Amino acid sequence: MEFWIQGSELKVVKLELHKIRQSFKQLIVYKSALIGLLIILALISISIYTIIALPYGKAVELWKAGEKYWLDNPRNALPSWVNVFSSRKLPETITLSTEIPRAGISKVIIPAIGKLNVIRIEFSFNYEYDDFPSELNLFFRSKFNISSPHLTIHWIKPDGEDIVLKTLVISKEENYYISVDYGLAYDLKNRISQKLSKPIEYGMPIVVSLFVVEDDSALNPDTVKVMKGVYKLWIEGTTFETDTDLDAKLNVYGKVYGWAGTDHLRRDVGIAILWGTPIALAFGVTASVVIAFMNIILGAVSAWFRGYVDTAIQRITEIFMILPFLPIMVMIATFFRPTLFNLLLAIIALSIFGAGVKTYRAVFLQVREFPYVEAAKAYGAGNFRIIFRYLMPKVLPTLIPSIVLSVPDFVFLEAVLALLGVGDPLIPTWGKIIEDAFRYGALYKGLYYWVLEPSFMLAITSMGFALLGFTLDRIFNPKLKEI
Amino acid sequence: MTSLVFIRHLLKRGIMILISVLVAVYATIVIANMGGYVDQIIKSEIYMAVSQSIRQNPAFKFLNETQFKKMVEDIYSNELKRLGFDKPFLYRSFNYWKDALTMNLGRALFLSSESGSRNVRIIIAERLPPTILLFTTINLILFFIGLIGGLSLSRKQGSLIDRMITMLVPLSSLPGWFYGIFMILIFASFLRILPYGGMVDVPPPSSAFEYALSVLKHMILPILSWLIAYSLISTYSRRTFFLMFSSEDYTDLAKAKGLPESVIQRRYVLRTVLPYIITDFSLMLISSWMGAIVTETVFSWPGIGYLLNAATNAFDGPIIIGIVVIYAYLLAITIFVLESVYGILDPRLRAEGGEVGVT
Amino acid sequence: MNGRHLDIKDFVMYYRTSRGEVKAVDNVSFSLNKGETVAVIGESGCGKSSLAKSLIRVLPRNISVYKGTVLLDGLNLMELDEKTFEKEIRWTKITYIPQAALNSLNPVIKIGDQMIEPLVIRNKTSKNKALEMAAKTLRSLGITEEFLYRYPFELSGGMRQRVIIAMSLMVKPELMLLDEPTSSLDVLTQANIMNLMKKIKEELKPSMIFITHDVSLSSELADKIAVMYAGQIVEFNIADKFYHDPAHPYSRKLMESVPTLRMDKNLDYIPGSPPSLLNPPKGCRFRERCPWRFEKCTEDPPLIFLGKDFYVSCWLHARG
Repeated sequence: MEFWIQGSELKVVKLELHKIRQSFKQLIVYKSALIGLLIILALISISIYTIIALPYGKAVELWKAGEKYWLDNPRNALPSWVNVFSSRKLPETITLSTEIPRAGISKVIIPAIGKLNVIRIEFSFNYEYDDFPSELNLFFRSKFNISSPHLTIHWIKPDGEDIVLKTLVISKEENYYISVDYGLAYDLKNRISQKLSKPIEYGMPIVVSLFVVEDDSALNPDTVKVMKGVYKLWIEGTTFETDTDLDAKLNVYGKVYGWAGTDHLRRDVGIAILWGTPIALAFGVTASVVIAFMNIILGAVSAWFRGYVDTAIQRITEIFMILPFLPIMVMIATFFRPTLFNLLLAIIALSIFGAGVKTYRAVFLQVREFPYVEAAKAYGAGNFRIIFRYLMPKVLPTLIPSIVLSVPDFVFLEAVLALLGVGDPLIPTWGKIIEDAFRYGALYKGLYYWVLEPSFMLAITSMGFALLGFTLDRIFNPKLKEI
Repeated sequence: MTSLVFIRHLLKRGIMILISVLVAVYATIVIANMGGYVDQIIKSEIYMAVSQSIRQNPAFKFLNETQFKKMVEDIYSNELKRLGFDKPFLYRSFNYWKDALTMNLGRALFLSSESGSRNVRIIIAERLPPTILLFTTINLILFFIGLIGGLSLSRKQGSLIDRMITMLVPLSSLPGWFYGIFMILIFASFLRILPYGGMVDVPPPSSAFEYALSVLKHMILPILSWLIAYSLISTYSRRTFFLMFSSEDYTDLAKAKGLPESVIQRRYVLRTVLPYIITDFSLMLISSWMGAIVTETVFSWPGIGYLLNAATNAFDGPIIIGIVVIYAYLLAITIFVLESVYGILDPRLRAEGGEVGVT
Repeated sequence: MNGRHLDIKDFVMYYRTSRGEVKAVDNVSFSLNKGETVAVIGESGCGKSSLAKSLIRVLPRNISVYKGTVLLDGLNLMELDEKTFEKEIRWTKITYIPQAALNSLNPVIKIGDQMIEPLVIRNKTSKNKALEMAAKTLRSLGITEEFLYRYPFELSGGMRQRVIIAMSLMVKPELMLLDEPTSSLDVLTQANIMNLMKKIKEELKPSMIFITHDVSLSSELADKIAVMYAGQIVEFNIADKFYHDPAHPYSRKLMESVPTLRMDKNLDYIPGSPPSLLNPPKGCRFRERCPWRFEKCTEDPPLIFLGKDFYVSCWLHARG
């Protein structure tokens, strides 16, 4: 008897699974579903690659890490590939450090009198870009006991012009932000102005004055030209102790970086785009699946047990439907500043008794009248057995498209919450990128890449699931068979 | 005779919905106070009120700073005890509940209304009309586009345009505010023919006619972005509905009865499908109240959604809670109206008392 | 012209689905004199409903072939354009009574309003006058006037069917198409409706096409029998002859599967199932299930005439 019971139940489940398998075969016929599937597979591959190549812990740390970590990157740089489309080549960042010897870097220590030494560091690089650098920084690290080295910094343009930038006494860690040395800016501008015997009517930034072609084109900020060629920066320093050492790093910051550009904190936007993918997928799919299953189970329980259980579940569902979802999420997010995971839990908690419960209950009310269910009751199947093995499989086919179609809703929900400023500030998600972009004026400064890249990811994720889901709906929904 | 049953049923539903609102608002209070937040707000209000009243009382004009502070502290702690702050939250929650239900939400922390009032109720009331104006317009336009488009599309089933639209539908699954961003980029930033946002020109024109025109101009981009986002899918879902219902047995009989096509469309297809369409419309309405939040933020449209965003940024608790309550009321009213309309349209409901429920 | 009221020749209706073309009505021919009833008998899925609907030109959305000759009193209905057909034939000369499903009546419009639709909308009769007529017709069918103001879901299956029949009677049609009018009703209601139809046949004398899968039921009304199998008419015979000596093997098997009241009988059934209308086999479509099949059956059987208008489509009758 036991075997026979098991057999018929199994048959029910098997039948439904078989129907599902048949339907999936039909899926391949629809091209739009194929495209959707490809997109989703691409996203999954990106996610897997990201998780392996850049482990989560490290990524979050990188994202949190202050300017110190990212200091070698330019701020708000465009993606490198824009240079492919432009005749005007934007500069990449050039980093020269005495700690990493290569061509163009030389460091010489010349003993002078007694304990005095003279250190000469020379950086030379070839600048062939059509645009000026975004920033210019010089970093020093020095080892000494008491007496600090005295340094003079020279800048030599390709045409041979030797400009003394600064003379300074440095401490053990000294940063010279050349491009914001306003005194120097004034001097440099005057120098060029005198050379041309004409006044320069705009505030010429240092990055321009150090790289500009010094003719009349320099008088107008729209016509300035970059002097191409070999530039040198040499540091001559006097040290007062025998074992004093000096290391220097020159950063000539470009305007492009990487495949995705950088943000206002010099962080590689690509990391956030990459990591946004598995986060978005996990968030969307988890929320979608869990909520759908909870809705179905509640709908089934409600329809099967009827009476008080039914009424109770129905009333609770109505209450939840009156709770305005997004405003409450905003409220919770504002007051409690939850982590991404807790946010997910809150969303699920609020959606368990959602509208789906009513829809599925309506379906189950019909299904419970089917003869095979009556038969199950007749041979004494327990209530929960009936719910899980008999009622729920009937609904499985329509469940699948609705899960797929609701994934983008949750992905966008997270993005919306981030956009409104109440998302998890520590985790790199697409919504967070857009929020940063808006907050730091991406649209006004023309930094369209900052907004377009995450928007593109959101859009394509949404489309992928929508393409797949719509086709699944047409296949699985019996009423839509011939339409 | 069925009307009486119907009215009784409607009354019953109305009461149920009212109870749901009551419970929902209570739940909101409980959630809001999970971090003791509401208590905090109330406590600081009390402190301020106490300080104010003592300062303004001429009898206490002669107190110096320390005495003043001590008096405030004493009265403050008495007040706290009086209002039950030493007891568990449950006691206080009912007072908060009553206040929230009547929208007696006290004063905002940071934001204020156009007229300078800090009263939360006034602030919210001020922001309600713009939201209603914009989103009712959008929803009505979408409703008619969907209805007419869907109806005509359902008759051309299998044709080229039908298949094209079926293919394009998934591509338009992006929310309205998403397109809104690009609308602003194109029309405001690049072409400069339409405003970046806001509801009316600054400074607002004096004549009522010009004012209305200005508002209309500012409504173009938000409406356009939502139309682009949702008209395709609206048309498609109506068309699918119509197709599902147009090959029913009763349409066959109607045709056999020699009724002209237009009559069949109207009385047999449209009339029977209308309840479902109305349901869909109301769901769209409800989701647009939600979507309003981001859209209004993107377009700086001075409505409830924009207010919520501002309140979030300013961490203005009372307003946030107030907006949640108002949304709950909005939803409840929409659901109630929906069920009434549904009952009028589908006689089956009136008899059975609504097993074929809408919500 | 030749005295026949209805003369159908080579009537074809195919429609397209995603799985192929369904040959629902595949060259059907038969005829009727005035006041006669032909019962079209067949299993489910053999195309009988399609036949009825095609005659009144209620065609599926994806129709592919629709041709043939349908002479009603000499007038070829197939040659009429849609507008004329709608105005002059539908619910004027021909009426259609569908299966007794709840779905046959518009669920959101009152019964009375549905009954008077053809009169008010097409004939421009005044609403009151039309309602009066409707009430009168309902009364003659045993339904009280108050039901004019009720909705379909408030009526029982039998009452709904009587309402539809009443709708037909109101226009006094020449030809009535009855598509399994009692299938979903219980036996008692079925008997009631059949008695009603008999009464109508006596008093109004319309020609009727009575479609059913129930052989014994057909005997209540039929003057002639057309047996339909896989979209084709395999036998068209006089009712009496059919019941005593069916010509086609399929008809034989049908009769053998019908229980009789007074004789002891070994009930038989026909093994297998009818072929799909998507790709009907070549030759005789019944041959897979026919106990008397032989080699010739792989070719399309001819129409062997058994009298002036009657025929059978079977090779067995071609010999000698």
